[in-house]
Order: sequence, then structure tokens, then C-alpha cells
Amino acid sequence: MNGTKGRIERFGPSCVNSATSYFPFVTSLASELSQIVGARHVLQRPTELLVYQSDALPGYHKRPRLAVFPGTRDEAIAVVRALHRAQAPYVPRGAGTGLSGGALADDVVLIGMQRMRRIIAVDPVRRAATVEPGVVNANLTKAATPFGLHYAPDPSSQSACTIGGNVAENAGGPHCLKYGVTLNHVLAATVVLPGGDVVQLERHSESETGYDLIGAYVGSEGCFGVTLDVTVKLTPNPEGICTMLADFTSVDDAARATSAIVAAGILPAALELLDHGTIEAVESSIYAAGYPRDAAAVLLIEVDGALAGLDDDVTAVQRLCRECGAREIRTATDATDRARLWQGRKKAFGAMGRVAPHLAVQDAVVPRTKLATILARNAEIAARHRITVCNVFHAGDGNLHPNVPYNGNDPDEAARVHAALREIMEMCIAEGGTITGEHGVGLDKLGFMETLFTGDTLDAMCRLRTAWDPERRANPGKVVPMHSCREWLAAPGAHT
Amino acid sequence: MTALTNARPATTADLGGILRDAHDRHARVRIAGRGTWPARSAAIAPDAAVLDVSALDGILEYVPGDLTLTARAGTTIAELDAATAAHGQWCPLLPWGGDDGSLGATFSTATYGPCSAALGSPRDHAIGLEFVDGTGAIVRAGGRVVKNVAGFDLTRLLVGSWGTLGVITEVSVRLRARPVVDETWSVAIDGEASRARLEAFRRGPLAPLSIEELDGRALIRLGGNSALVAAARAIVKTLGDAEPRDAAVWTAFRASDPKPRGPLGGNTLSDALSQRVKKQFDPRHILNPGIMGEACA
Repeated sequence: MNGTKGRIERFGPSCVNSATSYFPFVTSLASELSQIVGARHVLQRPTELLVYQSDALPGYHKRPRLAVFPGTRDEAIAVVRALHRAQAPYVPRGAGTGLSGGALADDVVLIGMQRMRRIIAVDPVRRAATVEPGVVNANLTKAATPFGLHYAPDPSSQSACTIGGNVAENAGGPHCLKYGVTLNHVLAATVVLPGGDVVQLERHSESETGYDLIGAYVGSEGCFGVTLDVTVKLTPNPEGICTMLADFTSVDDAARATSAIVAAGILPAALELLDHGTIEAVESSIYAAGYPRDAAAVLLIEVDGALAGLDDDVTAVQRLCRECGAREIRTATDATDRARLWQGRKKAFGAMGRVAPHLAVQDAVVPRTKLATILARNAEIAARHRITVCNVFHAGDGNLHPNVPYNGNDPDEAARVHAALREIMEMCIAEGGTITGEHGVGLDKLGFMETLFTGDTLDAMCRLRTAWDPERRANPGKVVPMHSCREWLAAPGAHT
Repeated sequence: MTALTNARPATTADLGGILRDAHDRHARVRIAGRGTWPARSAAIAPDAAVLDVSALDGILEYVPGDLTLTARAGTTIAELDAATAAHGQWCPLLPWGGDDGSLGATFSTATYGPCSAALGSPRDHAIGLEFVDGTGAIVRAGGRVVKNVAGFDLTRLLVGSWGTLGVITEVSVRLRARPVVDETWSVAIDGEASRARLEAFRRGPLAPLSIEELDGRALIRLGGNSALVAAARAIVKTLGDAEPRDAAVWTAFRASDPKPRGPLGGNTLSDALSQRVKKQFDPRHILNPGIMGEACA
């Protein structure tokens, strides 16, 4: 344990003494990695590494010590084994579209997986596809389209984010309300563990015997290993789709309509809420979707499935919206119209870029009967701290995204944003909710883990991590606060 | 190693104390709920004391509007079913065997049933758990909301682990609306062409909740709103010799299949990673030793 720790101190985030002490070590590691992937695919100059110092969550900048980009499965295995021999910590990264700082490498090695982007097989009979981790989410659906199939989890970043990243974060998306999150779609994965062993994780279809290691792996945020390939379910395209935009004069009404639809037992494919601030941002941007600018909130509701029975659900949704005060309910006329309505929602985070230089993004989930109350309290908290909260979220799941556009260069404003969001998150926890529904804990939500979970629970998470990564070199410092890990604390020299 | 006496704790804290003690003394336990798994329990080391968790029962929280429910592990499936039926909802476990088993056993064993392919397995229904591991630590995994990626997924890990990583004391599940119409048909299976039609039906947009073979005929369960079921029924009637059946046929059918409750073939904890996980949660191998086919001498 002592030997391991000594190496991490020479090559880790907060414990680096001087640039010279580890420089020769990094140079020899870089040359070993270059031999594996080719010198072109190892970056170590600060200027080259600049683009890898952020993910999609503004506000964090951590520069990797070096970055390596394997192009094949064998190269990826060799890279992980070389890092194991060098006892070097590392962070795997897909497209860097994550919203929790999970792919940030703070002075450690970054393994970029985006070169491994082959779709290995599409099997229309089994309705499954096997892909390399760097395949872009939307490209998988493109490959499945000729067979009348699609890949259901659809994070808003789907035109850029990778399946490997989706697996690491257990990514969601609007249509996960009906179709389930990434976890529900992963059938198998090949993973190289931090110790260099390659394991095949499979979902046992019939007799569910054996530990659900794949269930533990999906959503492990890069702490359990590096994905070499994934086999995912493909979903048949629905026979019929009806996309509606319901327009409300108060957020409260829209939230009540959501709770009413859920309570009525209707399961829309998606049920999204956008409030006035978000609508303004979207409608002023190139992503303008034709949302009513004078609405306090809109619900974007999609009902899909067999043609038979679809009308009944559509009628019920419309009735419930009207009963809760919807001013108007517009139905998409064709596929183009539907795509336009969705574009506004999917590009909403991007559209916020027009409002202010920085955007704080949160990801709480709350019980769905409490949506209206919690949104009202969010607004209260925001007003008290003199900040603007723009809500755009998966209302049907109770998965809130309170987004705060702000100027991070103003320390007073940044402090108020931070304080308000902490208050919002603590309120969501107190109301029986959780701190992340789909973005992951990463770095950003680490500070809430001890509010949400008991010490024994966090320790159990640490122990699960130890089973996969006994040396704690995979994505160090993320997900579970290091000081909640008792075994780690008990290690010799851990407090020095 | 000193044997433990049989115990029936009334609270999770008591259970924690018992397992801490068992861990200290290297004493092995066999977890018992409603006694619905005699064949599998027979594989457990004979010196294991019985840890009866059936006193930990009852529904703790049920908010119909949230479609979530939390119950103690000793609660039976039948109790869960009755409580949710009153609000037109269900947790469609419908496992092989019957509804007399406890939630703790159903989730520990991840027992699926004839509707699991369409409606999800216990791994899909569980959103949170409380469990006590093999050192006596009380762990509260997941939560009570339907979407949650906070921290590593201990819920998924525990479901289907056969009590070998911890004793489940509480389960939170997601519920669904019961289908407005839920009806069962039996159709003749007559040769390959007939099987191909059934398969096309199963894969099509009007896919039923379940298709199973019983006495040389296909038993088909349809569910959904009335228009959807009407369309599916029209297809069923083209499949040949269609007869309506009483819903009770499923109860008998689920009870009739001994396969999922039979003895286990081989060791399902043979891989190094599973063994490392086991070591982290039950380092002294005291929980249900032998039930996953692993050596327990």
C-alpha cells in the first residue's frame, strides 16, 4: 500500500511538489504509450491539452498531465496495462459532453476513447447492436434506422456524446420516461479493469443468476474500468407518434398537469417542461422552435406506440392539460414540425449561452406529486439570492434541471449562485429526492453525497469500487468523497 | 467458529447487531423469509443458524400519485398487490411460484415470471433498498424516486445476489398503472407456420404481456387500453382456435413451473470479480454459504 501511495503522490492531483520531480517519469510513460498508439495519439504539450481541460459543465478547468487516444481494443488494453505498471491514475473520456465534471483529469492521464468508433454489428433479429465506446449516440440510431429500429436513450447531447460515456454515466434523456435509462438497454460489455484484466459482463437473460455486475458497472462514472465494447438493445420504432405542446400561464399549472398525467397512469414517451426563461432563451436563438414567448411554461408531451389505442392516450393527456389550465395545445403536424419542437428542447442548454457567459446546471429528482411545490420554492430561493433560474427538465420523471445563467467573473454573483443551488439541492433531498437523475456525481455533486447517504452507505460504495479498482487509480477523486472510505482512511500514511 | 442460535429480529438495528456478532464469531446464517425456497435453501451449509426476517414486514410508504412504494422485506407479494390494486396500480412481479413469497426473497433471488420480458424483471422494478451486509453495516442504497444515478449502484448489485452480499430489509419499487383491460386467450399451436405467426405477434407493435406454452397450446395475456386490446384481440382471433381463458390460469401456470426454483447448476460465483465483490460485503462468507453453488466447507 505504501509503495502504491508513494507513486500516486508523485503523479496525482493535489500532492504534486514540483514540476521537475515527476517529469522524467511522465516522459518515460509518454514514450511507452507512444509505442502503443503512435506518437500522434499522445498529447503532452499544455497548448494541445487545453481542449481537454473542460467538459460540458462550465466553471471547471483541470488540465490532464498527458492524454492518450487508443484506436483499437488491443491498444486500449495495452494502455491500461501500461498505466497499471506505472501505477498512474487516469480518467477515461468520451466526447466530453458530461455535465458533472466527471471526465476532468486533474494532472493525471486522460484516456480519450473517441477514436474507437466502429459499429461492430447490428443484429435486427436479436434487436441488438455491438459498438465500440466512441460511437456517437445518434450514429447508432442512424445505423439502426434501415431496420426500423433505434437506440432509445436520447441525452440532449446525442449528436455528440458517445455510447461509452453514456454507459459510464448511465445517461438518460427525454424518452427514458417510457423506455428506460441506459442501464435498461445494455445487454453486455467488455471492460478492461484498472488492473489490466479483461472481463466480459453479460446480462443473464433467462435465469438471472450471478451478481448483476453489468448493473453495477453502468453508471460507475469511469471508476470501475474502461469499456472496450458494448452490446445494447435496439428498440422498434413506434407505429404512431403524437407530439403536443401545451401552453400554460403559470409554472404551477404545468407542474400540476404533469402530476395529473403521471397519476392517471398514462406513460408518455416523453413529458418535458420548459419555463419562461428557457423559452425566451430558445426563441431568441437559432434553435427557435415556435414556443409561445408569452407562456409561463410549456409542456412538450410525446405519446407513442401502436396506432390502436394511441388516440385514447392523446385525448386523455389533452383533457388533463386543459383541466389544469392549459391555454392552448398544439399538435405537431408532421415529422419536420415534430423535429422543430424537439430541437428547441434539446438545444436549450446551448441557447442559454446567449444569456450569460456561464451556466450552472443541476440535476435533482423529486417525487412527482411535489413538482409544483418544489418549483415554487426554487423560485423563492432564486429570488432571495437575486439569481435567475431557468427550468427545462424531464417533468414526467420528476427530474429537475434548474439552470442558472450567470457571470462567473463576478465573484459576488458566483457566490450567490452557488449558495442558491446548494439550498435548492438540500431542499430536494429533504423532500425525498436525489441529487442526480442522469448527469452523474462527478466532481460537481461530490459535496452533496454526505447529505444524501449515510456514512455506512458511502463506505459500501467505496468497497464496491475497491472490488473493481483496488488501487483507486480509475477516475480518482470522483463520485464518493475519499474521506468516506474507511479502508482508505485506515491505509498507512493516508492522513499525511 | 461458534454457531449462532436461530433468531427473528424485529428491527433492522437488531438484525445489524446479530450480523455484527455473527461476523465477529465467524458464525454462518441461512436467511429465511416466508419459506418459499426449500430446494435452494438445502444447498446452504447445514451448520448455518436460521435468520428469520419475516417479522420485518409491512408497507412503509405508498404515494399513489408518485407511483412508488416502500415496504419491509418480509411483506408478501400478495400484500403489495392488494395495496396497489386499490389504486389501479401494480408492481408487475408476477413471479414463477406464486404471490406467497416475501419481497425480500423475490428481490434477493431476482425471480422473474411470464410477464417479465414485457413488463420488466425485479432488477428493473427496484429503485432502492436497505440491507445489512455480512459485517453488520446497515446500507441504504438508491432512493425512492424513479430516476437516480447518485453514487455506485448497490441496488442492482444486491438484487439477484441471493442474500450472499447482504440481507435485504426494505425495498422501494416503481409501480405502473394496471392495464385497463387485462385478458387471457388460449390458441392452438399447429406446426411451424403457427409458431412463426406467434413470434411475429410477439415482436409486433401490439405485443402481448406474455405468450407461454401450456399443454400444447399458447397462453396469451393481453393488456392495455380498450382500443389497444381490441386490436390485439383481433390478431389473436386469426391465430387459430382462440378461446378466452380465466385470469386464474396464470396463477396455476406460475405455480406449475418448478424450473426457476430447482437446484442451481454449477458455481455462479466462480469469476474473480464476483469473488472480490463478495469479499467486500461478506468477508467471512457467513451469509447463505453455498446457495450460489460456491464451496462452503
